[in-house]
Amino acid sequence: MKTSNKAKAAINGQKQSNAPASPETPVGGLWSGTISFSLVAIPVRLVKSVEPDRVSFHLLHDKDYSPLERKMFCPEEEKIVPREEIIRGYEIEPGKHILISDEELESVSPDRSRTIEIVEFIDIQEVDPLYYDHPYFLVPLKGGEKSYSLLAESMRRTGKAGIAKFVLDDREHLVLIISRDAALAISTLHYSDEILPENDTAAAMHEASNDANNLMKKSIQGMMADFTPEKYSNGRRKKLLDIINKKIKKKTEVEAPETQGEEAAEGMADLMSALEKSMRKVKKTDE
Amino acid sequence: MASTLWIGNIQFDNITVPVKLHTAVSQNRIQFHLLHKTDRVKLHQRMICKFDGAPAPAEEQVKGFLVDERKYVLMNPEELQQAEPESSRTIDIHEFVKTSRIEPVFIERTYYLEPDNVVKSYSALAAALKELNASGVCTWVMRKRAYFGAILSTGKNLRLNVLRYSDEIVPVKSLGLESFELSEKEVGIGSELINKLTVKFQPEKYGNEHQKKLRDMIEKKARGQKITLMTPKHLKPTTPGKLLETLEKSLKAA
Repeated sequence: MKTSNKAKAAINGQKQSNAPASPETPVGGLWSGTISFSLVAIPVRLVKSVEPDRVSFHLLHDKDYSPLERKMFCPEEEKIVPREEIIRGYEIEPGKHILISDEELESVSPDRSRTIEIVEFIDIQEVDPLYYDHPYFLVPLKGGEKSYSLLAESMRRTGKAGIAKFVLDDREHLVLIISRDAALAISTLHYSDEILPENDTAAAMHEASNDANNLMKKSIQGMMADFTPEKYSNGRRKKLLDIINKKIKKKTEVEAPETQGEEAAEGMADLMSALEKSMRKVKKTDE
Repeated sequence: MASTLWIGNIQFDNITVPVKLHTAVSQNRIQFHLLHKTDRVKLHQRMICKFDGAPAPAEEQVKGFLVDERKYVLMNPEELQQAEPESSRTIDIHEFVKTSRIEPVFIERTYYLEPDNVVKSYSALAAALKELNASGVCTWVMRKRAYFGAILSTGKNLRLNVLRYSDEIVPVKSLGLESFELSEKEVGIGSELINKLTVKFQPEKYGNEHQKKLRDMIEKKARGQKITLMTPKHLKPTTPGKLLETLEKSLKAA
């Protein structure tokens, strides 16, 4: 398959969204601020640590095969609304909203909107997996690299994880800061009042007999292995790529009209790298 | 009581455990609408054609896979259907692993598993997994999607963690972090500090205070009261040269 130079560059180089910010590049990522423990403060940026990869399709317009973009649309004026004309509203009664500006939102918890203050550490083994919500990475900003490494290394050595709260957009998150291969990973946690009660009455009624337990244990022990998630891949992707490859051979591609802007090229680079990755994977399984 | 999402059988090594899947988490958070500043009309999301700039209704949308610059292979619904996994009522356990080996980043969400009719095998599996600190690595099909997961035990109850496929995990390497020389003294104090600040994990201790404050602000505004804007707190970063000194000060204060 032909791959454009741009896409190749993106595959070989780093993915833009995860590159550390240098002083020349504007601060990107999902959020930036400071993480602190005791008196040590580290400037950081929040970036993605997972990318759902389901052989991404683009939605296209069937008239001209131009890609479609998700935009906010005003049904009254029938026009696309630019970012600066959008405001959050809380509906107090049908059709009546209280408007909340970004500044007001940041002002609700001013001590938590730009700082992640680790107030205590815990043993990570004590966290019930049920609490894990969404994972991210923190990457150091200029000048913070050394204290960042120190926090990561000290947590690794002690086997501890930090607990903090911080506000991202309109939500306050309880987060766990974890040391992962010299990086600081961060995971939002569910609040305990979001956890639904577990019905253990049905299970508690029955105490399994010793014989049954021993048989079960034997079966499990006979099937113990190392955790190797790479072994499990999404079969849907392979099937889709087979269909796509057949269609490429038949030369059934359609072409979108040229439009202005670099956005399309960037999106494509990401997709191409996803495809390359998938192709490699498929190849491996075939061997 | 949460409703049942799915019913099926856990299966491995000639053992069958009938289970029901239930939701474990329910989020109740303040929801905002996005409004148009000028006329306060509630905004809708629309798919806009990049070429003609107009919204494309659902019947004019097609799915395309990008193969080269502006070149797509179109996929119709029948072809997409061909790629769907065959429906099944089985959660297949392929192997068991030490629970602690499953890194948190893999966990996408958790479901409760309840016994369906037959309780005996359920209890035995729950007890055995707990005793061995093991989890069952499994795959299953639900709502036309193939899932990868782990069956965990609390001792009495079984739970199902939906895991992310490994190629969805961004590798640490891609962050391009430079490794930093740290002195033994710095790491020593850092570790001592962390140990001093370590407590038992008690999730009930942490409430969502922000949600309450946000609600108060909304009520204030609804009553027409003025809101005092506060500037977010910014911390001054510790410079590398001051790190050791700051650590020593922290340790004294802890």
